[in-house]
Amino acid sequence: MQRLVLLIVYRLIMRLFLRVIVGVRFSKSDFLASEKQFIIVANHNSHLDTMTLLASLPGKILHKVKPVAAADHFGKTKLKTALSNYFVNTLLIQRKRDKENPENDPINKMIKALDAGYSLILFPEGTRGTPEVQQPLKPGVAFVLLERPDVKYVPAYMKGMGKAMPKDDNLIVPHSSSLVYGRPTLINSGDVAEIMEQIEQDLNVLKES
Amino acid sequence: MKEFFHLDFMDNKELLTVVLVIFGILIFASVLFFVVGKLKPQANLSELKSRTRSWWVMATMVLAATLISTNISYIATALLSFTAFRELYSVLGFRESDRRAIFWAYVSIPIQYYLAYIGWYGAFIIFIPIVMFLFLPLRLVLKGNTDGIIKSMSSLQWILMLTVFGLSHMAYLLSLPELPGFSSGGRGLLLFLVFLTEINDVMQFTWGKLLGKHKIVPKVSPNKTWEGFVGGIISTTIIGYFLGFLTPLSDYQVLLISFMIAVSGFVGDIVMSSVKRDIGVKDMSTAIPGHGGILDRIDSLAYTTPVFFHLVYYIAY
Repeated sequence: MQRLVLLIVYRLIMRLFLRVIVGVRFSKSDFLASEKQFIIVANHNSHLDTMTLLASLPGKILHKVKPVAAADHFGKTKLKTALSNYFVNTLLIQRKRDKENPENDPINKMIKALDAGYSLILFPEGTRGTPEVQQPLKPGVAFVLLERPDVKYVPAYMKGMGKAMPKDDNLIVPHSSSLVYGRPTLINSGDVAEIMEQIEQDLNVLKES
Repeated sequence: MKEFFHLDFMDNKELLTVVLVIFGILIFASVLFFVVGKLKPQANLSELKSRTRSWWVMATMVLAATLISTNISYIATALLSFTAFRELYSVLGFRESDRRAIFWAYVSIPIQYYLAYIGWYGAFIIFIPIVMFLFLPLRLVLKGNTDGIIKSMSSLQWILMLTVFGLSHMAYLLSLPELPGFSSGGRGLLLFLVFLTEINDVMQFTWGKLLGKHKIVPKVSPNKTWEGFVGGIISTTIIGYFLGFLTPLSDYQVLLISFMIAVSGFVGDIVMSSVKRDIGVKDMSTAIPGHGGILDRIDSLAYTTPVFFHLVYYIAY
């Protein structure tokens, strides 16, 4: 049931809305359907980002992709948690690591989701910030990739979303935007800083394209 | 249902002729480029081919939007304005504090087209040049950020005039009263305008490529030449003369109006070129393969539409 709801909401309604009204140009994403599992690593400027990424996914794998979101924001109440989990298919995590309680540890939670066969969408900037300005990346994604080195990461870059719907403003004012995907890549280093550098570089390449 | 799909253009000889002419030209162009491509494989025709493919799509969309139902035509032209407005304002770099005013500018689009739909001429003609012109600066002022407010006030109004007010005259053509003995009506006028404007673009381009030597505005658009300009005007005026059956005008009037479409189309083209040059882009976006953005295609239309409308309105209505 949730699979069908996600398909209708994202492939049909959201995609049409984002394309025609907001003015988002989607890049091809068919290649994702042939990947077994992946972590999409994207820049973050707007609530529209998650919607755009989900709307861009091939219908076949849509229900297998979980956007990772902050529990303190999207899991504030029981209702909010349920809605996020059902309609956005989120994986809610807390922002801080918790090594004493592996159940609550964000890295652990993401690895468990991967092991359950899900792909993930991650915003390593952590928060949306000022429109069109990239913030320092948090290393969580590198920790996950180090634990599961056979999972590829896919860089994704979005432009213009922060103008259509910036942080602290819930009014959508249509603005030409775009989403570009980079290539699925395996990590080739055992060092967290080097992995993050590689990811940041990939995002910058997409930004210039 | 009948209200939405009255395919009566099939019974209207004038409209049917134009449909056949348009598809005839497209077939001719496609065959021509295909044959030339086979005979001279070294000639690089990929841009012309992708342009032609896009023309097929655009022509089909315009014809469908114009002929299937007038109600759809109003919605389609409003969507065209909306998309053009979004494309233009997105590249002009507005401030974050302009968002509320821009939102209201968006709201004015359905209102303007509704006024065209109900045919309230007095309100239609003042809504953007007066009502929005006075209201949008107020909305900007209420936000309180005065840094760069002059630029926001003026460019927002300019974008609205160009992409909404000007283009909405296409919709109003459909609301003009019926004239005795003139059967193709607003749809005929709309087809005449769009077809002639686009043919003019193609003619200016073709003559410029064939004979172009003397640059006309080298600092703005190095590809525009006197040869292309004059050749385009002459061909467009002649083609317009033969399409006069779509209008309620006399032969001389058709010649004059076709000439005016050719000239104003050229002006629209170079005005948009200068804007692109200022912000340092070649095309507004990549929405239409081979052409660029929506605005790269309808830049001339934004100028020809109000010129054509008011000339016809003055002469015939």
